[in-house]
Amino acid sequence: MSILAAENIRKIYVGGETPVEAVRGINLSLEAGDFVAIMGPSGGGKSTLLHLCGAMDRPSTGRLLIENISLTDLNDDALTRLRRTRIGFVFQFFNLLPTLTVTENIALPLQLAGQKASAAEARAKDLAAQVGLSHRLNHFPQQLSGGEMQRAAIARAIIHAPALLIADEPTGNLDSENGAKVLHLLSELNRTMKLTILLATHSRETAAAAQKIIYLRDGLIEREQIKSL
Amino acid sequence: MRLFRQFIFRQLLNERLRSATTIAGIALGIAVVIAIQLTNASSVRGFEAAIEAVSGKTSLEITGAGLGLDEMQLNQLGWLRQYGFVSPLIEGDAQVRFADYKKETLRILGVDILRDRALRDYKLQAEAQQQFKPTEFLALIADPHSIILTEKFANAHALQVGSQCEIIFGDKAEKITVRGLLKNEGAARALDGNFALMDIAAAQWAFNRLGRIDRVDVRLRDTVNIDEAEKIIRQKLPQGLHVQRPARRGRQVEKMLAAFHFNLTALSYIALLVGLFLIYNTVSISVITRREEIGTLRALGVTRKNILGLFAAEAAALSLPGCALGLALGRLLSFGAIKLTATTVNSLYIAVAAAPPSLSLQHVLIAFGIGLPLSLLAATMPALEASRVSPTAAMRSNDRLESRFRLHKISFIAPLIFLALAWVLAQLKPVGSLPLFGYAAALFIVVGAALIVPVVLFVLTRMSKKLLTRIFKIEGQLANANLAGAIPRLSISVAALAISLSMMVAIAVMIGSFRTTVDYWIGQTLQADLYLRPATRANITVDASVSPEVQSIIARHPAVAAIDRFRNFDLPYEDSLITLGAGDFEVLLNYGHLQFKQPRNNEQARAAMRAAIGTNNVLVSESFAIKRNKNIGDEVKLNTPKGEASFRVTGIYYDYSSDRGIVVLDRGTFAKYWGEQLPTSLTIYLREGASHDQTRTEILTALGDKYQVLIYTNAALRQEVLRIFDSTFAITYGLEVIAIFVAILGVASTLLTLILERSKEIAMLRLIGTDKKQIRKMVVIEAALIGGVSQSIGLVVGILLSLVLIYVINVQSFGWTIQFHLPVLFLVQSSILILLATALSGIYPAARAAKLSATEQVAEE
Repeated sequence: MSILAAENIRKIYVGGETPVEAVRGINLSLEAGDFVAIMGPSGGGKSTLLHLCGAMDRPSTGRLLIENISLTDLNDDALTRLRRTRIGFVFQFFNLLPTLTVTENIALPLQLAGQKASAAEARAKDLAAQVGLSHRLNHFPQQLSGGEMQRAAIARAIIHAPALLIADEPTGNLDSENGAKVLHLLSELNRTMKLTILLATHSRETAAAAQKIIYLRDGLIEREQIKSL
Repeated sequence: MRLFRQFIFRQLLNERLRSATTIAGIALGIAVVIAIQLTNASSVRGFEAAIEAVSGKTSLEITGAGLGLDEMQLNQLGWLRQYGFVSPLIEGDAQVRFADYKKETLRILGVDILRDRALRDYKLQAEAQQQFKPTEFLALIADPHSIILTEKFANAHALQVGSQCEIIFGDKAEKITVRGLLKNEGAARALDGNFALMDIAAAQWAFNRLGRIDRVDVRLRDTVNIDEAEKIIRQKLPQGLHVQRPARRGRQVEKMLAAFHFNLTALSYIALLVGLFLIYNTVSISVITRREEIGTLRALGVTRKNILGLFAAEAAALSLPGCALGLALGRLLSFGAIKLTATTVNSLYIAVAAAPPSLSLQHVLIAFGIGLPLSLLAATMPALEASRVSPTAAMRSNDRLESRFRLHKISFIAPLIFLALAWVLAQLKPVGSLPLFGYAAALFIVVGAALIVPVVLFVLTRMSKKLLTRIFKIEGQLANANLAGAIPRLSISVAALAISLSMMVAIAVMIGSFRTTVDYWIGQTLQADLYLRPATRANITVDASVSPEVQSIIARHPAVAAIDRFRNFDLPYEDSLITLGAGDFEVLLNYGHLQFKQPRNNEQARAAMRAAIGTNNVLVSESFAIKRNKNIGDEVKLNTPKGEASFRVTGIYYDYSSDRGIVVLDRGTFAKYWGEQLPTSLTIYLREGASHDQTRTEILTALGDKYQVLIYTNAALRQEVLRIFDSTFAITYGLEVIAIFVAILGVASTLLTLILERSKEIAMLRLIGTDKKQIRKMVVIEAALIGGVSQSIGLVVGILLSLVLIYVINVQSFGWTIQFHLPVLFLVQSSILILLATALSGIYPAARAAKLSATEQVAEE
């Protein structure tokens, strides 16, 4: 089943004096259970592509479908609903809300979707246990280590069973040991839950966890590499 | 300077809305202070200006004991001529009634016009046109129904020489002929042209003051030293007469109004205080949003001191236009403030001019001398925070201030220490008649309350989490978490709003209590059926009497059972003025009901009154007793026409009609010292079953058009008293509304600060699927929570402050006992209003938050 299909998408930013074409005609397809890494130098278009695939933004031209829904046809509210229900996000700086506890952070997407706090928190506690944070449930993010924060962020990203997980440099702010643990967790989720993952990174070690690596340069796919089984 | 222009000034221009809001906040604060200064000055200066213009070249005044001097005494004052020119005079207010029944008040000076010209500048129109005939002055003397008006007054009412007009003197309407017009200079400029001259004998007759002179004005020869002359004249004057300079009357009025003015001034500073929180917020926003830029500047070699200076300069850049604008706005506001205070000052103290004085250098100094340093002080904290930004930390962009509040022992102890000190200060005596320690106690309560705000926020955000989540779902939970996470920054805004609201609560409780007390007092004291006063007697300072004809018409009415003829007038006492009153104690004993503070026992109180009939025992009002520190049995020395006389206080009664202090004598005793005088008002008791309204109508019909009096029925007078009461406090509410408005601006600005500070978190929320509506709802709930917490703190602190106001400040300023009463309905209504207003103040920050772009924030990383 197609989770994501990008057909010749372009993204042109016209904010400054000269328009900047960050993505210049990319075709990409992700099926359920795929684990794809995007690599490339800074300014190559990784982040823009990730934003587009994460329904944070719409392409300037081309077609981009998530679970066969075209983003071009969606307004801002519809895009928000799509992110809320079908996409999960993991970032380099974890981006947990400092004012919420670990449980509350993890439960947030369910509550935003209208689920009762008690039910959402019960599910959050289950997931926290799965990612090894059952001893940190009532702690605030700033009381956790980097690795713990990223595991909490991953739990938050998957609590609503998204179709697609977007991960932007998920190990970029972690030491190698914690980075390895996070990668292992993502691989496990991909394997056991058939979670589709699109990950952007500078690190070869991180990219190696994916089944397929796409190299971007100057807004175009330079090459693709499929991991041999 | 260059760095200021590039780094601060351009940013202020870019953030126009925020800059404008801050400048407006400061301007409003300064405007309120200036408006009150001008309003206070207008009542005193207006009075002084009138004295100055009417006094002309008068160097000294000879006055009697409150009621002027006996005409016969003039013979004993012939020696005064060796010092200069001497002019006896009558001064009084009368009303001109026009064909359309509209009335206008005239200040009339009754003089010997030929002698008086040496003292006062007035030029007749005819003189200026060189058509002057001395016969015009002679006509004035020959015909007592003659008057000289000012050109301005005559032109405004289409009057000319030879015209007849109807003038009401006291309670009598008379047809008077205009014999001349004064050019608009000298004394004619006093009171905006509402000034007129009459011959002294005619004025004595018209004002019912036959045989009396109000005062004798003396213009000393140029060669005579005024200090020496004053000393010698004082020694030579017969008993009961006094010499003073005209300006002293102004100073007495100033002294009398001091407490009223002081209270208004203190209140006006609240708006300024709240305005300063806006400066704090704005500079804080600058520091928060520009941490990375500050870091860059620091990395490039800009010193900490320079950074501190830059942000202090930002405060100055906002404050200076705020102060300038505040000056202009203050002048505009003062017109409104004068309108709001005029009824009080006119009813309770003196008749005043209705226009504020112009702005002077003194006001400019007040505006900038207070506004600028305080703004710099408000900016100190955020500016210091900016100077502490390290180059490396700022460049990392995730460096942020400690935002989580930690509870320490000192968080509880410090506020308690301030509250304890407030209690101690509230026990201390006033300084002069000013309750300075009372105000210090209020200030300590306010500081204690401000210090306890973080603790309250900490406890409340912990307790309300579940409830808010249940009611408002995730948006409520997030709003609560956001507040819990920003307690240190939020505390200042909540404290500002809470203090402002606490003042409103305190004033509402004080006014509510006062009103209830006055209402009860009226019910107890106003027992008579009808009250009568001359139509021209707009306030107790106007010396207008009830003529014998009116008294006898009323006495003859079959429904009238008894009349208490009350006479009162201003009497200089120590350095101020008091009211001396004389009434028929016998009638009061049989029909009336004074509410006594001491003796408390009703029988003892009646005995005290009985003992005062025909003796030198007096009753004094509570405010006189408190302000002059008098108790039962104490001696009160009063200036009488027979010299200084001693009276003994036998009773202290409650009186809320005026705070100037009243001493009341029995008419018999009064006549012994001041002679038989016409009453200034009548209290009329009717026979049982007689209709108030019908009797009133019948009396008015019997009096006809000739006598102009105001007769209130008991119910109407009660209404009138409460109307004056309510208007007294209109200004208080006006000031409070401004302070609350500025405080709500502060809440909006704080929310904006918090949102900018949390922009990445909000972006993250947007990213994981929070829609704009949910973001907006979250911010509006935060705003309402800030309002709710502030109002809750405001209620508790306000009640504490009201206790200080009622039991310390009011007693020491005005000498009134007020029974505590909680105006529950008002407090509930205002709480709901504040909650709604603060929630509304969150709409703009909410819209800004919802607009934050998730992509941009994430892309930054």
